[in-house]
Amino acid sequence: MEIRLLRTESFRLTAIFAVLFVGATLILSGVLYAIVDSAFKSEIILNARQDLAAVKKGYDAEGIGEATEVVNQRLARPTTSDFLLLQNAAGQRVAGNLPAVTPVIGTVRLPVPTARKDDHGAEHRILGRGQFIAPGVYAFAGQNLAVLKATEHKALRAIGWTLAAALIFAVAGGIALSRGFLRRMDTMTQTCQAIMAGRLSDRIPEPGTQDELARLASTINAMLDRISTLMENVRQISTDIAHDLRTPLTRLRHRLELVSAEATTVEEYGVAVDRVIADTDGILSIFSALLRIGQIEAGAARASFRQVDLDKVVKSLADIYGPVAEDRKHVLAIPVIEPAKVLGDRELLSQMLVNLIENAIAHTPDRTRITIDLRMTEAGASMRIADNGPGIPAGEREKVFRRFYRLEQGRSTPGSGLGLSLVAAITQIHGATIELTDNAPGLCATIAFPKCR
Amino acid sequence: MKILLIEDDDDTAQYVAKGLRQSGHAVERVRDGNDGLALAKDNAHDIIILDRMLPGMDGLSLAKQLRESGSQTPILFLTTMGGVGDRVEGLEAGGDDYLVKPFALAELIARVNSLTRRSQRTGAEQQTTLRVGDLEMDLIARTVSRHGRLIELQPQEFKLLEYLVRHEGRVVTRTMLIENVWELHFDPQTNIVESHMSRLRTKVDKDFSIQLIQTIRGTGYILRGN
Repeated sequence: MEIRLLRTESFRLTAIFAVLFVGATLILSGVLYAIVDSAFKSEIILNARQDLAAVKKGYDAEGIGEATEVVNQRLARPTTSDFLLLQNAAGQRVAGNLPAVTPVIGTVRLPVPTARKDDHGAEHRILGRGQFIAPGVYAFAGQNLAVLKATEHKALRAIGWTLAAALIFAVAGGIALSRGFLRRMDTMTQTCQAIMAGRLSDRIPEPGTQDELARLASTINAMLDRISTLMENVRQISTDIAHDLRTPLTRLRHRLELVSAEATTVEEYGVAVDRVIADTDGILSIFSALLRIGQIEAGAARASFRQVDLDKVVKSLADIYGPVAEDRKHVLAIPVIEPAKVLGDRELLSQMLVNLIENAIAHTPDRTRITIDLRMTEAGASMRIADNGPGIPAGEREKVFRRFYRLEQGRSTPGSGLGLSLVAAITQIHGATIELTDNAPGLCATIAFPKCR
Repeated sequence: MKILLIEDDDDTAQYVAKGLRQSGHAVERVRDGNDGLALAKDNAHDIIILDRMLPGMDGLSLAKQLRESGSQTPILFLTTMGGVGDRVEGLEAGGDDYLVKPFALAELIARVNSLTRRSQRTGAEQQTTLRVGDLEMDLIARTVSRHGRLIELQPQEFKLLEYLVRHEGRVVTRTMLIENVWELHFDPQTNIVESHMSRLRTKVDKDFSIQLIQTIRGTGYILRGN
């Protein structure tokens, strides 16, 4: 038997219960033994009293002859004492099946005559009672304790066997339980090791029961699923980053190649270097945006959240972006701005709004009207940024929040495809939700903040 | 100006020191935070350029200890730590400006020049009127006039002009304007500076022979009185 089998929790529990069971049985048997023993002995004494009373009654009525008669009658009957003795004043046996004894009054134990010794050994004694039924005339009545001892012996043996059987069952049960437990644990351990070794899609088998191991297995599986989703995201993101940075880097390389081949004057080199610096800045800004999204998603900014007057942020940004929109022949309007406080980071909230406003300006044709509404509802602050531009097809609306995702129609306009990812990260850290809907025509982004306090 | 550069990265230090020397500053450079603090406490420099992650003692602690020792030398943080809250931490520790790597040399030089001038003026009483040439700004009444002629400005334009006037004769970069005039601490994708600047220049300079605001190509703007 493996040692670790004995170290399992289920085996330990079984062993503890077996010991408790044995202990309880022993106590119970002991008490029963004592009760039965004393009841049996009282019965013997009671019988002896009745027999002695009958002998005394015979003697009192008709003397020693009648007493002898009673003794012989009683000895012939099976329900009375097994042993009787009647002796006269001279100390000689008159009747009965015991040798003469030195008279002792009260409860007396006498040795069994040799002929009556049985397989239970010589120590067995006759328990009974002695009394003088007349001056000098002594009588004794009693029973062989061997019968009692034999019964008790049988009972003890039965208890012993029961205990042994119980112990065997307990040990066997404990081992069986532990085996089952160990087998399931081993499966879990092996699965975990397999996952660590790289078989990431492995899962712990779930038996479909509701016990604690099954629950543990399903929790671990759920955790593994979550981790693998996150890993998949990370993998997807790094692939995207590699892919999307290759484009600007390739462009940079082409430019440098062209300069190397064609530029001849210092001025031409100067112009080319300026453009290369601008390209590099573009690439660096993609990295800063990625870093910023990562930092925001990590959630550290939550520690410095405080109450922000969102209406003031919106008004100030509308002031700043009004002229920008105008230069692009757009209109930026804030028809409804209600006072609204949200718990958050002013800088991040500004950036979220800036990205949405700039998106609306960059991806819509001339004369588009962009409106920002801010309302206080029962549920909290609700902000709408809407335009009457071309909008986003329904199927694409969720995808635009992905990193580097760009609509077909937007590929020609400048942008990294990270603006809305940043917006999503900022709304998420603020516990807000963002929803893109059809503004018929155009796009409407609704951001619902949770109630402040 | 004498500049103390506390930076552990040799490449960055070389790049920064060379650029600053070319624009006429003297640069002393140390690698270690503890050495940097000892030198800074001598008060022999006009400005300190400070990295945040340094061997010996980090930049944030250095700035705090320097301020506790009573030194008022302006500190410009120059760091890769550009996360949400990092800038605020730097300014709260006693920094006067915060520039995140990677940065353009022109940006750094413009900020250094802006800080040295600011430190010279420390202690001057609150001004209520600003004058540059024939331009006059009344900061109480929020009015602007040129050659005695009143100019109507939008609040954003007023803030922009005030910043330019306060930095008269020095280059201000786009980023400095975005950070200080509009309090946005990230790079917008649209030309908000150009949009506001063109409006301001139309109002302030269009009808006058002397153009106060000039564009510095690739860097920013400068406002000059003559």
